[in-house]
Amino acid sequence: MTPSPTATGYAHREVTKPPNWHGLVVWDVMLNAVTTGVFLVAAVGDLARPTAFAPVAAWAYPLALAVLLADLVCLVLDLGNPLRFHHMLRVFKPSSPMSLGVWCLTAYSLPLTGLAACALFGWRTEWLHPALLVVALPFSFGSAAYKGVLFSTTAQPGWRDARWLGAYHVTSALAIGAGVLWALAEWLGASEAAGLLRWATAGLILLGVYPAVRFAVEFRASRVVMVVVTVLSFVLPLVLVATPQAAWVAAVALLVGGYVARSALVHRPHRS
Amino acid sequence: MAAEFDVTARGSPAADPPPGILGKVMRHLLHPFRRGTPPQPQPATGFYTDTSVCIGCKACEVACKQWNQLPADGFAFTGNSYDNTGALSAESWRHVKFVEQFDVLRSLRERVPGNGGGTSEPLAERAEHSPADGRLSLDVIPPPADRWLMMSDVCKHCAAAPCQHACPTGAIVYNEFGNVYIQPDICNGCAYCIAACPFGVITRSHFDGHAHKCTLCYDRQKDGLVPACAKACPTASIQFGPVAELRERAAKRVDELKQRGHAAAHLYGNQRTEAYSELHSFYLLLDRPAVYGLPDDPVNPWVHMRGDYLRTVAFGLAGLLLTLAVFLLAGRPA
Repeated sequence: MTPSPTATGYAHREVTKPPNWHGLVVWDVMLNAVTTGVFLVAAVGDLARPTAFAPVAAWAYPLALAVLLADLVCLVLDLGNPLRFHHMLRVFKPSSPMSLGVWCLTAYSLPLTGLAACALFGWRTEWLHPALLVVALPFSFGSAAYKGVLFSTTAQPGWRDARWLGAYHVTSALAIGAGVLWALAEWLGASEAAGLLRWATAGLILLGVYPAVRFAVEFRASRVVMVVVTVLSFVLPLVLVATPQAAWVAAVALLVGGYVARSALVHRPHRS
Repeated sequence: MAAEFDVTARGSPAADPPPGILGKVMRHLLHPFRRGTPPQPQPATGFYTDTSVCIGCKACEVACKQWNQLPADGFAFTGNSYDNTGALSAESWRHVKFVEQFDVLRSLRERVPGNGGGTSEPLAERAEHSPADGRLSLDVIPPPADRWLMMSDVCKHCAAAPCQHACPTGAIVYNEFGNVYIQPDICNGCAYCIAACPFGVITRSHFDGHAHKCTLCYDRQKDGLVPACAKACPTASIQFGPVAELRERAAKRVDELKQRGHAAAHLYGNQRTEAYSELHSFYLLLDRPAVYGLPDDPVNPWVHMRGDYLRTVAFGLAGLLLTLAVFLLAGRPA
């Protein structure tokens, strides 16, 4: 018996429905990577080599806060009912990555605001600054770590198979953060910090190769996206590491490559 | 009687906001943080849908819309049999699916003269030879191998629901009947439940921006009534009751169907699998689940969470340590 096309019923259809996540969520994921990446690298530098990193940190924390605020605006506006944004804080549910993420972002924002205020007003006290850094570090790390897991623990095509998405996102965030700070250090003329950040950027890009490859395979990314992301997020910045004058080009390449990858990620279920 | 109609006009002293704009803002901010007394747990209730007796009348869809005051979803020509609502949505909590399993090619071959089929007469000639009333003879009715499959789809009310697990606001809860319930005054439309559901049940409403789905007529159950769809179903395809009782009934029905020669009859979701919990709304199917638009082997996305976090944290910490090592070791005077 040759069945007619309707004999298969609904079998040819994707069962799941894509969530209403579009451009704002792409920006949210991207800004999440930038704010956490910039803060984490700056904080590690500030704690390890405070003298070398002081000029960079003075710009890094206000920058991380500004990007975080933009990220939070995207998160709120993307809700079906933005006026109910505070409902996110009525329960603490660590088993839900979104709940964990919201609490991490909230907890991260408070010491970051203090650090930004210290940087802007020049309040660099001996104990307050490192204390705020130590408090902010785990929450910033949590803010970076939850995002990929939020997507991979869904039933959506592409996301549900992406076991390495979280690892890709967090290593990419660190590489972006290091690249942006390297460019900032070059611009500020902080040569010692720039030299350190150059090698950190290269190391973090190389560290991210493995999770990126695994993620691309599982995610079944399109060839165009893979080529663009490979060139902008890996090849070009690594080539430019040898050229200090090209720090801004490397930073922009990392940012654009990261955006392209995240745009492909967010829109994947809508293509099924 | 007048007092009953007056209910909505009467305010509740506890719920009335303090006067003024500040009071309204305070109520908006504080209301979601209030907690009521949880009701006493009851035996779990659910649906057992026997698709072998579904006739596709859509009375369940209509009853659901009527009772829950749901707006129309826009009737469109889907090109798929008599399915005109297309899918479950925030406005359609019941959806009747139609599967036409007809061998159209064989049917056409049989009707072409000299093709070795069941008849060599063209349809027009057969009409001429038909009885005096001019109607086609009954042999155009498809043979028994061809069949309709119909199924009234609804939220599965999973025993371990990914949507409930995902919900960051606590809007999705299990009520006292073990049903998955979205509290409409708490949901803020984050859409994470939509992404988490492996059955594609939940969507976000265009009207209020919140997620909605079948409540299993929680309000009717609280008053001891049967859900509207089950009440309206004329063939008892949709049966409602305590889940344990429904499972027994469903198992007997499968045995009965198998004795009658329906070897493919089986239950879907009545028992937990390695990758998914049991469903409190389960089905008797006559074909593969995928044919009905159900995942053959549903997977709870949360089974991967621990591993995903481990990989993420491991590479994140490796990145931080690498950064720290570079900052501590590079650029130091020898």
